[in-house]
Amino acid sequence: MASMTAFSYLTGASALHRMDVRFKLASMILCSLATVKAQADGLLLLTLALGIILVYIRLPLNILIRELRYFSFLLLFVFIARSLATPGEPFIKLSFVTLTYEGINDGALVCWRLSNIVFVGIIFVATTRPSALKTAVEWWLRPLPFVPEQRVAVMMSLVIRFMPVILEQARETADAQKARGVENRKNPFYRLKKIALPVLIRTFITADELAVAMDARCYTEKRTSVSLTACRNDWLILGGVILFCCLMVV
Amino acid sequence: MNIIEIKNLSHHFADGAIGIDDINLTIREGEFVVFAGMNGSGKSTLFRHLNGLLTPSNGTVILDGVSVADDPKRARRMVGMVFQNADSQIVGETVYDDVAFGPENLGLKRDIIAQRVSEALNAVNLSTHADQRPHLLSGGEKRRLAIAGILAMGSRVLVFDEPFSNLDYPGIRQVLNQIVTLHHAGHTILIATHDLEKVICHAQRLIFMKAGNIIRDGAPNDNLKEAERFGVRAPCASRFGKEPVSWLL
Repeated sequence: MASMTAFSYLTGASALHRMDVRFKLASMILCSLATVKAQADGLLLLTLALGIILVYIRLPLNILIRELRYFSFLLLFVFIARSLATPGEPFIKLSFVTLTYEGINDGALVCWRLSNIVFVGIIFVATTRPSALKTAVEWWLRPLPFVPEQRVAVMMSLVIRFMPVILEQARETADAQKARGVENRKNPFYRLKKIALPVLIRTFITADELAVAMDARCYTEKRTSVSLTACRNDWLILGGVILFCCLMVV
Repeated sequence: MNIIEIKNLSHHFADGAIGIDDINLTIREGEFVVFAGMNGSGKSTLFRHLNGLLTPSNGTVILDGVSVADDPKRARRMVGMVFQNADSQIVGETVYDDVAFGPENLGLKRDIIAQRVSEALNAVNLSTHADQRPHLLSGGEKRRLAIAGILAMGSRVLVFDEPFSNLDYPGIRQVLNQIVTLHHAGHTILIATHDLEKVICHAQRLIFMKAGNIIRDGAPNDNLKEAERFGVRAPCASRFGKEPVSWLL
């Protein structure tokens, strides 16, 4: 039986689950943009709000932490790079590298922003059915000329649908390699190469099988869409998000 | 009445290998047919021609009077296929969404889709799982979900490619019970397997395939004794000269 991952829809009946996806998508984009501009106090505000929402939608935090452990390596890398590359007052000075106070501050802010954006995305994915997301993306792209909105929307929903499958396959492959002693090899590039190739190949095979199965069920781009209906609450939440974003940036 | 007529059907792969070779076959509506043979004998290739997933190198498949090549969409609606790997045919993020995928592709209205999904989930006893994530279902439940997916499209012919692979004993019984129930409800059932033990009791016809050809076609009791000549293990009971017993008993 496949284990649960944080990067997929979580059944529920919260206000976020019920929210019109077009409004939710707009709210997510606004929050992400505000995060890029926000400083520490704004970021703290958003982090608190995200923490409350995570508890409210009952996203299993232990699974979330497990899924994000590799992301923390990326954050660490970004933090070290920013700390070393930003000029300013030295904090630690070794023979050829200097860690600056400004760099540490800058690196921490960038990591905080990235984490907030990732959590905004996770909350969005966990509360949105891919079928509804597909319809919302189509709706937003419809006014744009030369953009095949139906195709783009299907691609997006399939990527989200495939994320847990790819993670599950990566986990299985990693376990199979651990069983054959890959941990004795200390070179991370060797281990990355050994896991990336089989996972890629399995992903392509699964994608082929899925394409055949979709064909067998008469797949077409012109299919019945999920009906989206905005209500007063959606406008109220969107208004609240806009105010919140202004507060974050100011 | 013949629901499937296959005339001189051949399929050659791009590398020149022969998938199936000059097959002629008719299937009556409501029949329960088991196709047995070793891996690579052509069972899956033959099945993929029934709903136009593969294009024949030669020959035709006629479904209820209409050629598959002339109307592949009708063929896919009429012949529902459950693949060997249940995981790779799950498209929806919830059980409900997955069953609704086929009817949505047919462009049906929302209320009709809801009705079809509800009926299909009831038929496979998964209605209480409608909001669950498909990847968290057991192996047997995933196969039943795949069956619900094709029932919601209104398929008359149900094709199963190795339906019992990777299933535990309760899972096998769940799926077998479902298949037998659907047969009693009037569906035409075609099953490809190299494991006769689990299903042969319920079949009305047994076809052996080898190297892309049909080499035996007849009543199960007449054909069973030859099974091992064609690389298929005979059911345990028949090896001891007894009648095979249903796995549902």
